[in-house]
Amino acid sequence: MYLFANATIYVGLALAIYSLLIITLGISTKNQKLINSGKGGVIAILVCASMAMLSLFYLLATSQFQYEYVTDYTSSELPIIYKLTALWAGNSGSLLLWTFFLVLYTVMIAFSRKMRGNPMVPYISAILLGNIVFFFLILGFVAKPFILLDQVPIEGHGLNPMLQNPGMIIHPVTLYLGYVGLAIPFAFAMAALLLKNVDDFWIKMTRRWTIIAWLFLSLGNIFGGQWAYVELGWGGYWAWDPVENASFMPWLTATAFLHSVMIQERKNMLKIWNISLIITSYALTLFGTFLVRSGVLTSVHAFANSNLGLYFLIFMGVAVIGALYVLMSRYSLLKRSAGEFNSYISKESSFLINNLLLVGAAFGVFWGTVFPLVSEAVRGTKVTVGMPFFNTVQAPILLSMMFVMAVCPLLAWQRSSLKNLKKNFLIPAILAVVAMALMVVLGIQKAWAVIGFGVIVLLFITHFLEFYRGVKARRKMTKEKVYLSLYRLMTKNRRRYGGYMVHIGIAFIAMGIIGSQNYDVQTMKTVNLGDSIEVKDYRINYERLDQKREGINDIVYAEMTVFKNGKRIGNIMPEKVFYGNWDQPSSEVGLISSLKEDLYVVLSDWEDDGKATFIVKVNPMIAWLWIGSFMIVIGSLFAVWNGKYQNITPRYTGVRKEVS
Amino acid sequence: MKNKIYIGLLLIAFIFQASIVRVGAEEFDYKSKEFEAAASQFMCTCGCGQDHFECDPKTCNLTIGFKEDIVEMMNKGWNKDKIREYYVNIYGEEILTAPEKSGFSLVAWVLPFVVLGIAGVAIFFIIRKWVKKKGTDEGALDNDIDKDEVEEEILTSMIEEERKKYL
Repeated sequence: MYLFANATIYVGLALAIYSLLIITLGISTKNQKLINSGKGGVIAILVCASMAMLSLFYLLATSQFQYEYVTDYTSSELPIIYKLTALWAGNSGSLLLWTFFLVLYTVMIAFSRKMRGNPMVPYISAILLGNIVFFFLILGFVAKPFILLDQVPIEGHGLNPMLQNPGMIIHPVTLYLGYVGLAIPFAFAMAALLLKNVDDFWIKMTRRWTIIAWLFLSLGNIFGGQWAYVELGWGGYWAWDPVENASFMPWLTATAFLHSVMIQERKNMLKIWNISLIITSYALTLFGTFLVRSGVLTSVHAFANSNLGLYFLIFMGVAVIGALYVLMSRYSLLKRSAGEFNSYISKESSFLINNLLLVGAAFGVFWGTVFPLVSEAVRGTKVTVGMPFFNTVQAPILLSMMFVMAVCPLLAWQRSSLKNLKKNFLIPAILAVVAMALMVVLGIQKAWAVIGFGVIVLLFITHFLEFYRGVKARRKMTKEKVYLSLYRLMTKNRRRYGGYMVHIGIAFIAMGIIGSQNYDVQTMKTVNLGDSIEVKDYRINYERLDQKREGINDIVYAEMTVFKNGKRIGNIMPEKVFYGNWDQPSSEVGLISSLKEDLYVVLSDWEDDGKATFIVKVNPMIAWLWIGSFMIVIGSLFAVWNGKYQNITPRYTGVRKEVS
Repeated sequence: MKNKIYIGLLLIAFIFQASIVRVGAEEFDYKSKEFEAAASQFMCTCGCGQDHFECDPKTCNLTIGFKEDIVEMMNKGWNKDKIREYYVNIYGEEILTAPEKSGFSLVAWVLPFVVLGIAGVAIFFIIRKWVKKKGTDEGALDNDIDKDEVEEEILTSMIEEERKKYL
């Protein structure tokens, strides 16, 4: 098994090098046979990567403690699902997963039906193979997943209890799919530049792959937030940790690209900017990996004792310099077709503002993340840059972003006249101001909250009007029923209405953030058995404290009955779990969730006589975070779905096919 | 005798003062807004990545003493700024959850907005340039259209003249 498992890595590396060389040779000699051989090599690499994954899954599932990785991240009593998910608990395993996804994506591109006969394929394959070679080199010589120990331990060290949660099964997988996914638009961009052809086909394909990567990045962040909320016991969902920031930055720049590419599509402008955004997004994924693996910054996510970061930094440097060189060498070609704007106020202008704010937000996150290093380098003083900094800097930028998002749908392409603006915005603006006044009357008096909710109301109205006007115009012509008309309107323009659904999802998330950040109530109370804790409208009766054993873990739990305004609404059972093979206990929170608010109870401490201390929080509007997240997923899938009307991919109009 | 009783009482008070403070600390609501304002300024160094307001005393020994010390200072009437100053003097700026808004650390707060402002101005000028270019192009186009119309009129009149000659 040892030989087989290691062979999958080294044979994979050899095949990757072979495929890269043979495809490059095929491109330079215009020899289709060599290209086909390289493409066959890609399939063989996928077989190797799959075998390596299956080998590690097998070793983990069967607790083969003679392997260092299995000992480090599992123990025999661990449930099978967590034994398997331990594959991405450590450095080498997670890099193997990354490699597998990268190879999978490469095969999908090389043998895609839409890409058949396309001369971009060999270039894209070669660029992705360059990445694959790097990852196999790391797996083969730096972070080896299949190392045998000199002595076989009886038991493994176990999996970090924080990772023993359903959210952690899927969070890293989706995040890696997002990270790896951004390598595809990068490869498309480089291939297009090398072939001197950034046409409609490029836009369509790059945008599609960027949406897919964006969706997975969104999912990764959402699952991470949800996990933090239920597992870490602090009642929050986003801590601006360097690693969270590392996944948020490419998300922001990819979002900017998805908007600015529309200007390129309509006006043949911003080509250099769009390609720069693609390069930046890809580089930021490598930068994120550098942060996680290098240990230069303190993070709860960091992989300890690793010098891997340096290799990623070097690879990122090579990739960025190479990409910039290609971009500069094609500068005159990209510059040639620059167009112009018709008016200061138009959808095009609003997209530029949108890009400014998104990239500005990404810069703010980047700056905050690296500032501890800057401060230490400049004046030798370490500083910590945490939540207060990011909340203060990001709040105005992201609120402005929401405003642009609210206004943009009603702005016309090309030119918006003052009359047009007045016609479109007067009623939504009046309604938003009335809503803000109503909020103040109802007791919402914090300025940020009122402004934030006001902008969200404006966003809902403008988006509703977009749907309303579209349906109305359609019905005028077709006399269809409302729902049928809405359905056909949306399915005939999936990208546009999918985008609006994502906007509405973001607005729901913003509602959750503003509500939970500004109006949370919390207390910490020590009570005797039979006593109650009262918070807001809630009365929580503390009825029982007991202990149970699950496997090698001891669990202390409290049974509590919750009443709201005197009416019983349910039971909760907050727990503290003590692990047999881990020093730190973890909290399982007691949670009662509604659309209005979450009641969140953590068992903090207790004494022999049953007296216990609880942290009780009432977090308003948290459910809207998850509803909004769901909307984002639905909207993104709706936008990329190949419906009846979406099968047309523009014909490739680039250079004559020589090899494909 | 009275003096001896006072001294005795003072001694008893002194001996038990720690437990009185401790009882005070235990009863203090560590999740109150006043405590949050003071404790959330400081980063817990146990590796949890949280501030001392959020850090759970059950899972972190470090925060227990820290929380008690903060309560003690609050009981003495210290405000959050004074508590902050006290800890920064001992541990340096690193203990804070965010950089100071003075000296070099001010750059951390200001730079994102400066960059945003400069980029915003640049975008304004870029849009202006593109709109102007369009205006100039439209002007040139109008001239072309005028010229074409004149030429067409001349051509039409010539055809008309020729037609008159022969028909």
